[in-house]
Amino acid sequence: MNEFRVKDRGRVNTDKPVKFTFDGEVFKGFEGDTVASALLANGVHLMGRSFKYHRPRGVVTASSEEPNALIGTTRGKGQFEPNTRATIQEIYEGLATESQNKWPSLQFDLGAINDRLYMLFSAGFYYKTFMWPRSFWDSVYEPLIRKAAGLGKAPTEVDPDHYASRYLHCDVLIVGAGPSGIAAALTAGRAGSKVVLVDENTEMGGTLLSEPSVLIDDQTAWDWLAKAKAELDNMPNVRRMTRTTAIGYYHQNMIGMVQKLTDHMVDVPTGAPRERMWRVRAHEVVLAQGAIERPMVFDGNDCPGVMMAGAAQTFLNRFGVLVGKQPVVLTSHDSAWHSAFDLADAGAKVVAIIDTRPEVDAALVHQAMKRGIETLVGHTATATKGRLRVKGLRVNPVKHGRVGTARVLSCDAVLVCGGWTPSLHLFSHTKGSLDWDAEAKAYLPGKKTEDVHIAGAGRGLWGIASALEDGTKAGREAVQALGQTVGAANYKVADDRVGTGITQKELPSDRSAGKAKAFVDFQNDVTAKDIRLAVREGMKSIEHVKRYTTNGMATDQGKLSNMNGLMIAADALGKEAPQVGLTTFRPPYTPTTFGAFAGYHKGQHFEVTRKTPIDGWAEENGAEFEPVALWRRAWYFPQAGEDMHKAVARECKATRQSVGMFDASTLGKIEVSGPDAVEFMNRMYTNPWTKLGVGRCRYGLLLGEDGFIRDDGVIGRMRDDLFHVTTTTGGAARVLNMMEDYLQTEWPELKVWLTSTTEEWATIALNGPNARKLLQPFVEGADISADAMPHMALVECTVAGFPSRLFRVSFTGELGFEINVPARHGRALWEKLHEAGQQYDICTYGTETMHVLRAEKGFIIVGQDTDGTVTPQDAGIGWAIGKMKPDFVGKRSLDRPDIVAPGRKQLVGLLTDDPKTVLVEGAQIVADPKQAKPMKMIGHVTSSYWSETLGRSIAMAVVEGGFDRMDDTLHIPTEDGGTVSAKVTGTGFYDPAGDRLKVE
Amino acid sequence: MNVPVNSFDAVSVAVLPPVARFNLRIAPADLVVATKAFGLKLPGKIGEGVQKGDRAAYCIGPDEWLLHATEADQNAIAAQFDTARAKTPHSLTVISDREVMIGITGPAAIEMLSVACPLDLSRMAVGSAKRTVFDYAQVVLIRDGDDAFRLEVWRSFFPHVSGLLEIAVKELTVGL
Repeated sequence: MNEFRVKDRGRVNTDKPVKFTFDGEVFKGFEGDTVASALLANGVHLMGRSFKYHRPRGVVTASSEEPNALIGTTRGKGQFEPNTRATIQEIYEGLATESQNKWPSLQFDLGAINDRLYMLFSAGFYYKTFMWPRSFWDSVYEPLIRKAAGLGKAPTEVDPDHYASRYLHCDVLIVGAGPSGIAAALTAGRAGSKVVLVDENTEMGGTLLSEPSVLIDDQTAWDWLAKAKAELDNMPNVRRMTRTTAIGYYHQNMIGMVQKLTDHMVDVPTGAPRERMWRVRAHEVVLAQGAIERPMVFDGNDCPGVMMAGAAQTFLNRFGVLVGKQPVVLTSHDSAWHSAFDLADAGAKVVAIIDTRPEVDAALVHQAMKRGIETLVGHTATATKGRLRVKGLRVNPVKHGRVGTARVLSCDAVLVCGGWTPSLHLFSHTKGSLDWDAEAKAYLPGKKTEDVHIAGAGRGLWGIASALEDGTKAGREAVQALGQTVGAANYKVADDRVGTGITQKELPSDRSAGKAKAFVDFQNDVTAKDIRLAVREGMKSIEHVKRYTTNGMATDQGKLSNMNGLMIAADALGKEAPQVGLTTFRPPYTPTTFGAFAGYHKGQHFEVTRKTPIDGWAEENGAEFEPVALWRRAWYFPQAGEDMHKAVARECKATRQSVGMFDASTLGKIEVSGPDAVEFMNRMYTNPWTKLGVGRCRYGLLLGEDGFIRDDGVIGRMRDDLFHVTTTTGGAARVLNMMEDYLQTEWPELKVWLTSTTEEWATIALNGPNARKLLQPFVEGADISADAMPHMALVECTVAGFPSRLFRVSFTGELGFEINVPARHGRALWEKLHEAGQQYDICTYGTETMHVLRAEKGFIIVGQDTDGTVTPQDAGIGWAIGKMKPDFVGKRSLDRPDIVAPGRKQLVGLLTDDPKTVLVEGAQIVADPKQAKPMKMIGHVTSSYWSETLGRSIAMAVVEGGFDRMDDTLHIPTEDGGTVSAKVTGTGFYDPAGDRLKVE
Repeated sequence: MNVPVNSFDAVSVAVLPPVARFNLRIAPADLVVATKAFGLKLPGKIGEGVQKGDRAAYCIGPDEWLLHATEADQNAIAAQFDTARAKTPHSLTVISDREVMIGITGPAAIEMLSVACPLDLSRMAVGSAKRTVFDYAQVVLIRDGDDAFRLEVWRSFFPHVSGLLEIAVKELTVGL
């Protein structure tokens, strides 16, 4: 039994002892303990060091809003997690945990020097200190500050865990399974609605777990809870989920929830996901998330042992742990009086209850006296004693606003309650309005934007009876909103703990506020004077105060600090709190693992990698791949000992000399079909299509409304009313969308339909003087001789027995064919051609060679030589425009003043003076390399390659007024900082007359 | 397409054999012509499906139908529509190779699909079809029974989808 464990109290399983380690020391606890409750049971309060000042810190809460007790946990290899809240992590045999932000140890931390130098680290310190000498910032101050900053250690190993993800639909989603949530679930469940009830804790019950003495329907709270859970579990329409946090409330009742599945298990089933992200679409949502206890702001309020009174009550009643044997209670709300009574009845010697209110309910005072607890009403607290653990509390009476003589009370814990803040994070995510309740000095939910109901302490109510009643009401409203009938439920509650209280800014003190270390935000080490300093320095908006001081910016998102910060800022500004306002709450509600957000999107599933039917052959034959949009494409096929340069040189040479083979399956294909197909094509593309005969194809150019090139591709006319349109690989979806957009919104009268066929066909390109010789024996049903099938013709036939659309096209300048077969035959055809091609020394080539060969001919690649600002005329392909066409997308823009103005960047060739130098793509071009900097850049290199065919480098570039610069010498920087000169030429480097196509 | 068949009691996932598959675009007013050409009464409402023998038709858009038939009938069906085109404009595109079809059957079928499909599948009528998404992939989902679905996905997106289904089967097996 632990020293601070109370016999027969709590819900942990005392039959199942558990050993875990904290900072290397072995501690004993029980199944059901969290790290925090187990450490407290062993008398340990010191659990961390604060962020900036490295002050000793202890746990202050019993739940997910914990700001101090942040630990690192190790569940296994690669499973280290920093900044885990000790109040959430359940212990199991062998769990290893460590404290953070300390060196060499938690008890003796050198970082505490920051605390001594606190004057240097006030709000916004980096604007005011560490400024001289200037050079020291980069080399000394910043690196040191960065090293010292942060709390937990970032993991260095790859996370081996799986994270799952699922969608869920329901009628009513209830967030929070305290008395309100459970009452709502019973009501909606009994009505037959599809209910999902979730709670972030290990078990449901909420406040009921901390208030066992309350009677509901003549049963103890725990007995009633057990019955309620059993009833819910018997309803097939109800799903209960624990360890599940609703992290965000998104549009139209979409709630994100993260369910922890295995962090509490010592033996994790193989293949089990660690967490699951649920995306829930609920017809109605009930928020029953309760209220969060508010700390009090006074000098030394962060000493280990100073914690929330409600948390102490929870540690006792839920975990059977006394947080101290001699606690002092400091409060301004009735609730802490009940906490004091619970601790006293469990054997603690409650030294005193200090209440800041001038008057307190006589019944409470009486109960205190019965237990021998001194009561000091109308008092304040002005300091704590102790550093690694609280030893005393300094208190003073307050009369008519004047703080009287101090008195120190010896204690080993200070239990604080500065009031309760309804938890409205999720409601705020919906941008529902928050209404200020002047009496409660708290925000309550106001105008709703979603189908949501808020119940219980979450909207300021107090006590079990009102929670049950309000939850029932919310459940009824939700079911009625669904159009279903619902019954009523009444609960008889006895020994309820009702009460009220007040909240305040800093506690009054007789000492200098300027010297007080009165913390508002524990996690970010923000004090009350930081907030007042910010206001003095001109921060008038709460948004500025927040960011200047970092109050509320820690991982607890201000759950314990926002309201206190607001009260202090409002006071400093001389305004009412609602005029100053709150900052924005954002998902996630509590820290959420990256894994949960990523879900299955890691490794193979991070993104789709699209592969063609021929990809497998390429992989088996040693291809290197490159990504193109979502596809992976064979980049080059290196043979033994070849680097890319050698492989590409070989592939280019072999293709031009004999025959090369290329997988072109990724190019987009769109079937444009209907009586108005040709009219549609005329409107979309720049080219004239009316006179393109059936069985012919043409290079098509697509512009945007702005006149700039968007896409291109060869387009074949299969029938009068059917076009086989090809697009670039990356443009396929975009082009189809653009076409559908115009068709549906601009030209709905056209009778033409568009269907994507990119993946219906596998496409193999054969290029080279022997291309026809290789292909001919495989073709049936068509004559592909030079006379019968001229360049830019197409035919339907069978190739190697497979039905085919066969195009005679060339992107290389050599005799070329593109064979389309149904995708399932792609690889078989490839293998047949490859085998038959051996007699011609056939060479398979990839995208790099394809790029080089087309560049030698000066063919553009959209997206490489164009960047969305290049017109057809700029690119030297104005010939693709149908001059007689009345209109096409982009036509009018081609007349815009800036489009017809001189000096536009135009596509030219560049031949370096040293033929062995290959320019760097993207390099900027200047006319005079000796000009002063900044230099006038007149263009850039778009494509640049070594040309094996020509035995020298070639490049394409866009240059201002390029067409008028023929034979000029321009200058381009190199990667090592030098300059290279090159001559401006046309882009037809190789076979400009096109003689290579005229092969028999 | 080599894909392991994953199954256990609660759900079975299998790649289905190829079919003749068409994408039909036609004005709803001319639907009767398509019905005649296909030999099955095409449904008029988006989401509706009709099945008879080895032929099926699903309305997946305002003027769009997905047609299934046995492979051997592909050319004959195309020829029928060819003839009809003389009088009635429409577009019939063969997409037999564009898609791969996966069958998901068993009591946990909906739970499986909920891994990556955001629809409330419990409200999908038996016999209906929907164009929707499955994680990054656009798919067509067909409900054949309370516990029976077919999912059609483009060939190159198939590995991603089947990989996720495999993961989902594992999760169901582990029970977490």
